Amino acid sequence: MATTTATTRKSSLTETSFWQRAAVRRNLSAYAFILPFMALFVIFNIGPFFWALWLSLLRGDLVDQVKPFVGLQNYLSLTTDDITLKVFLNSLQYTVSVVPIAVITALALAFLIGNKLVRFKDFYRAVVFFPLLASAAATAQIWSYILAPRYGVLTYLTGLLGIPEIYWLSDPDWALYGILLIEWWRGIGFHIILFLAAMLGVPEELHEAARIDGANAWQVAIKVTIPLMRPVILFSVVMGTIWAFQLFDTVFVLTNGGPVHATATMVWYIYNHAFRYGQVGMAAAMGVVLLLIIMPISYVQMRVLGER
Amino acid sequence: MTQFKFNGNWRKAIRVLPQAVIVYLLLAALVILMLGPYLYIFSSSFKETYTLISIPPQLIPEEFVWDNYSYILTELPFSLWFFNTILVALLVTVGTVLIDALAAYAFAKKQFWGRDFLFGLMLATIMIPGALLLIPAFLITNWLGLLNSYGGLIIPGLANVLGVFLLRQFMQTIPEELEHAARIDGCSDFGVFWRIILPLSAPALATLSIVVFTSQWNNLVWPLVVLNDKDLYTLPLGLALLRSEFQVNYGITSASAFLSVVPLVIVFLFLQRYFLEGLTVGAVKG
Repeated sequence: MATTTATTRKSSLTETSFWQRAAVRRNLSAYAFILPFMALFVIFNIGPFFWALWLSLLRGDLVDQVKPFVGLQNYLSLTTDDITLKVFLNSLQYTVSVVPIAVITALALAFLIGNKLVRFKDFYRAVVFFPLLASAAATAQIWSYILAPRYGVLTYLTGLLGIPEIYWLSDPDWALYGILLIEWWRGIGFHIILFLAAMLGVPEELHEAARIDGANAWQVAIKVTIPLMRPVILFSVVMGTIWAFQLFDTVFVLTNGGPVHATATMVWYIYNHAFRYGQVGMAAAMGVVLLLIIMPISYVQMRVLGER
Repeated sequence: MTQFKFNGNWRKAIRVLPQAVIVYLLLAALVILMLGPYLYIFSSSFKETYTLISIPPQLIPEEFVWDNYSYILTELPFSLWFFNTILVALLVTVGTVLIDALAAYAFAKKQFWGRDFLFGLMLATIMIPGALLLIPAFLITNWLGLLNSYGGLIIPGLANVLGVFLLRQFMQTIPEELEHAARIDGCSDFGVFWRIILPLSAPALATLSIVVFTSQWNNLVWPLVVLNDKDLYTLPLGLALLRSEFQVNYGITSASAFLSVVPLVIVFLFLQRYFLEGLTVGAVKG
């Protein structure tokens, strides 16, 4: 808008009033431009948000006309229930495992592709993008065959190395890591591509300078390249954490929370309690807890996005 | 980092050779890891029941059969799911881009009462996890009578906050002079938007289209709660159902998973640039 005022000031007096009136008219029309978006936004975002908060104070089935008000009872039940405790632990264990693993392996792979001996970097960028294209459901189907006991390819290959057979998706001790393996494959490209872009943006002179000062390749990476990539790494960690806490699709398709709740996540809990078990209040309360976890993490994401 | 170029210095070339060998071996492993699963289910989709469970696993089946494809195309409503997915993804994409572009234009170029408050409110909703909104959004869709219909699949997804954010950023860079020139030539307000702003925003619109189309194509949760009728299913929901309601037959799941990915792979090969640009935008909705 600053430019508009600048231009209007330059024009003659009669023109000024003409442009100003026209500008007021145009600005009023802004409401017409935002109307379709705002209507849908209020109906499907703002409204549901407050409704969800209210639902977390009620008890009842999804379709019950009258749901009795129970205050904070649902939240208290969350703290005493065995399954919810398991769900929190699963989500936490999954997140603190998958995020560091994904970020560190992605950094290593970005350094590999970014190596100056590598020609056709765009090709490798495309290759790591491929897993991002498939739906979680398709990926789950692909990997359930690869991870299948006995005749699965991975099972066979690890068998050749003498590693005892792992029941990736049916052993309660391993199932969460089976899911982690699949999700790692599915999401790693995101981190690699972000890191690669940041890495190739580091000015060559900085590397040269460090080299002249006698630093070896490892030292250049640790002391020069990685510190300069810090904002991007932060963004990656934040996004990875947000996704990890919202893990659902893969679990739903492959294990449906089992075996014995080994892969039951927070969103799995919300879906099942709302749409299967007729406990909308508990589901909404879990949703609010998820919000309280995601909110501070997302705040960082918003700041990073805002800086772009 | 610049690229290594061979400039006739043999001594240097020989010195980096071992490193090059290691780097390319690791890259080959990476390519196998990333593409291997796709290739493996592609080849497995031609396996018959017995070769599917043979030990050792056959990377390339000894005998190619079309049974899996003929099964999903005749015994399952797969072609219907395919059609539904294309229809819903296309309509959501066109609708979202249009609605978002209209709003983004106002937020980028106009001064109106409540603008900053509304924009802040929109940004704040990025922090809300989708699962929290799932229940009330379902109840509202039910209340609007849209459950189990294309409308219920399409309409609730049309207001995309990040789309407005992305397009606004881009539109802010379009010089004011172009708008003024169009106005002097007698363009209406909507005319300016339609003839000047939209065409100039084409790269951002393309990026947003790709992001929305991909996430719709792959969306599982919303179709899962909205739909009952198997004939209205989209591909991800159909794929999920293959596992829960049919006895697991990896030939059938491989064939359907492969077919469900092919369209996006083709789009990706042609419009790679927009996929890469959309990465950080689409990232946010997870």
